[in-house]
Amino acid sequence: MEILANAWLIPLFPLLAFVIILAFGRRLKESAAIVGILANAASLVIALLVFFERFAKGAGDYLNSSFEWLTIAGHSITMGFEVNQLNAVMLVVVTLVSTMVNIYSKGYMHGDNRLHVFYQYLALFTFSMLGVVLSPNLLQLYIFWELVGVCSFLLIGFYFYKPEARAAAKKAFIVTRIGDVGLFIAIALLYWWVGSFNYSDIFAAVNSGTLLSWQITLVGILVFVAAVGKSGQFPLHTWLPDAMEGPTPVSALIHAATMVAAGVYLVARMFELYLGSDIATNVVAYVGGFTAIFAASIGLTQRDIKRVLAYSTVSQLGYMMLALGAASAAGYISGTFHLMTHAFFKALLFLAAGSVIHAAHTQDIFEMGGLGKKMKTTMIVFLIGCLAISGIFPFAGYWSKEEILVATLASGRIDLFIAAVVAAFFTAFYMFRLFFLTFTGPEKVPQGVQVHESPKVMTYPMIVLAILAVVAGFINTPWKPALGDWMTQGMSFAHGGHESAPFWVTILAVGISLLGIFLSWLMYGKRSISNGNTARAFGPLYTLSYRKYFIDEIYHAIVVVPLRALGKVADLFDRYIIDGLVRLVASFTYGVGAAGSRVQNGQVQGYGAMMLVGLVILLITALVAGGLFVS
Amino acid sequence: MIPASSYLLVALILFCVGLYGALTKRHAIIVLLSIELMFNAVNINLVAFAKYGLFANMTGQIFSLFSITVAAAEAAVGLAILISLYRNRSTVHVDEMDLMKR
Amino acid sequence: MSGQYIAFFILSLLTISGAIFMISFNRVIHMVVALAFTFLSIAGLFILLEAEFVGLTQIMVYSGGVSVLMLFGIMLTQHSKVERSEQKPALRIFTFAGILAFFVAVFYGIQKTPWSQEAVDYSTQNNVKEIGVQLYNNYVIPFELVSVLLLVALIGGIIMAKKEADDE
Repeated sequence: MEILANAWLIPLFPLLAFVIILAFGRRLKESAAIVGILANAASLVIALLVFFERFAKGAGDYLNSSFEWLTIAGHSITMGFEVNQLNAVMLVVVTLVSTMVNIYSKGYMHGDNRLHVFYQYLALFTFSMLGVVLSPNLLQLYIFWELVGVCSFLLIGFYFYKPEARAAAKKAFIVTRIGDVGLFIAIALLYWWVGSFNYSDIFAAVNSGTLLSWQITLVGILVFVAAVGKSGQFPLHTWLPDAMEGPTPVSALIHAATMVAAGVYLVARMFELYLGSDIATNVVAYVGGFTAIFAASIGLTQRDIKRVLAYSTVSQLGYMMLALGAASAAGYISGTFHLMTHAFFKALLFLAAGSVIHAAHTQDIFEMGGLGKKMKTTMIVFLIGCLAISGIFPFAGYWSKEEILVATLASGRIDLFIAAVVAAFFTAFYMFRLFFLTFTGPEKVPQGVQVHESPKVMTYPMIVLAILAVVAGFINTPWKPALGDWMTQGMSFAHGGHESAPFWVTILAVGISLLGIFLSWLMYGKRSISNGNTARAFGPLYTLSYRKYFIDEIYHAIVVVPLRALGKVADLFDRYIIDGLVRLVASFTYGVGAAGSRVQNGQVQGYGAMMLVGLVILLITALVAGGLFVS
Repeated sequence: MIPASSYLLVALILFCVGLYGALTKRHAIIVLLSIELMFNAVNINLVAFAKYGLFANMTGQIFSLFSITVAAAEAAVGLAILISLYRNRSTVHVDEMDLMKR
Repeated sequence: MSGQYIAFFILSLLTISGAIFMISFNRVIHMVVALAFTFLSIAGLFILLEAEFVGLTQIMVYSGGVSVLMLFGIMLTQHSKVERSEQKPALRIFTFAGILAFFVAVFYGIQKTPWSQEAVDYSTQNNVKEIGVQLYNNYVIPFELVSVLLLVALIGGIIMAKKEADDE
């Protein structure tokens, strides 16, 4: 029990690193990276210890909320931390990915003047995410939740001198803020109805029927709105692809471990609440399913390597939501399981993409090609990532994705099952489109650019993640669901909920992915089908997908333009009515002053006359006050 | 017996005339003279109170003597300032003496 | 009693008319002469009030000293005769209105105040002697201070006038 009680040390190290780099960043320069890496490694070690201790047989949850923060009218708000199955896993995932990203960044950001600032933000980001994970109550979670948002803003806008990066940072901040309002309302409502921020109290209220079903539904949807914002689900997904303006390691961190995972984590953490409302789970499932296929279809046509990955993230997050929406033990397990495996292979893919960009100095996949000959390591790890995300046996993605399909099928939502399968097909297609266009075929990189393999400090983290992308799935196989059994221990719903999967699901899932890969090979590997012809054949659909269903344009038309008009009206009102009044007052005062200053003409006799007037007034006042005129 | 108010009235008229002169005349010497006139009006009051006052005694006369002395000193210094100013600025007009403002 | 009245009437008439003439004359010399008349009449008023010493001082200091001093000042500062002698009309009217209000207020105050009806009779005592006694018994320090003041004014006047002469 010793390590569990000391789990609070995990976020402390990144915080310490943040403070150190903040204070001595200028002097540390490149060695700021070392500080960041060491702090994350220390967190990783403790997180692993915590995980193994919690994983051991007979271990229970550790909850420490002894620190009393506020006492208002008899209600005390406590702070602290907790360790249960879910966040023990999350701690490992976050610290692991974060450590890898930190190491990788040392190579990727080498030579950047603001390297120390970058590491400072990274450390704060990791700290915030760990804070989200460890929080035992919603209020504390909300604080860290917002911190995560701030850090993402800072990191996406790291290249603030680029206007796109500035716009993307603002967009990420504002769009996620819409979701945060939902969370805030949900927290307020829960405190109103339950009288506590603690998860355990809230779940107790749900289970005992203190909360009415409509209340559960409302809160569930509001919490999901927050998750939609943070995890980039439709319709608030638009910020996530734009967030690619940040440095690539940041994209890896945001997409794999910290920012977007927070949304899924929140829904998973509130899972017991969702069990109380069919409507809320339906919303979660359908939004997730729709997002999965929607984002995947956009990913088919994008030309920017990072954007494709971004839409794939949106799509995969949709998968997780879909799984959680199944409202069963299997759904819960597969959702969190996929969150974990996805973190590994998506971080891997992003880091590999960063490596490619680092070498080729372009993000357009049609300008790459043939890079595989010169970047063997990168190619191999990228291939592993692609296989994992496409769900090919025996890579990590296979296990988690199949679990999701099984859970969805078991929940009886055939429509969503079909959507998920189609999305899987799309995913396989666009991932291998990426692979073939980047690493195979003729070389297209201009002569001046020297393509070379990335330094070891960048390849080693990728290799580590690649290994994890291969083996991470074995922790929860259908015939030995170790993770699943463990995760559901002590949960209120059915224990061990592994659905017996019909064998055809596996065949279908792998088969459809293989089909996608084959098609993509035909089009981009062998080039027996011209992609130009295909694009023309699908004309309007292609445009629709390439322009991302015009979502940004629609938002611009229905939200930005009216708001801007409103702002314009307010501006005019302010400029002419409010300012007009102010200017009137000012000119009146000025006029009085000018009249006064004309009296101050340096003429002694004028002053004397003024004094006389004052004297007369005083005299008359004195006489009246003295009662002289009262006869 | 001549009532006290008669003397006070004469003094008041003198004071007002002096005040008017002091505030409206442009010639600095006339302004000085007008101020002297106002002093005199006050002196009349003092001496009148010495005779007709509520606690009439010699103090009024003594006080008027002091006042005359101060007025004489004031006239001397004022004239000295005036002459020095005239030498520098070649004017004796009060409305042109606004050096402090410029 | 009637003699006193007549004397008061004539003297106050001379005083006020001298002042009015002073204000209304155009030439500075005439003004000073008019004012000298006023000073003399005021000395007469003082004597009428049984303050002989103050009256004589008035004649010596004002009619003798100040008037002559002013005449010297006029002679030392050359000036043309044709220029406008008064301030702008606006200021004049403004000042006149202020003074009128002042006059009315004080006049009303004088009329309303119940003055004591009996006068002190100084005719029995020697005015000069009495002032001397008072001055050297009760007012020694003010007396000495006034002498210092006169000295300062003397030296100040000299320095004021002389310093500029050096500069030339």
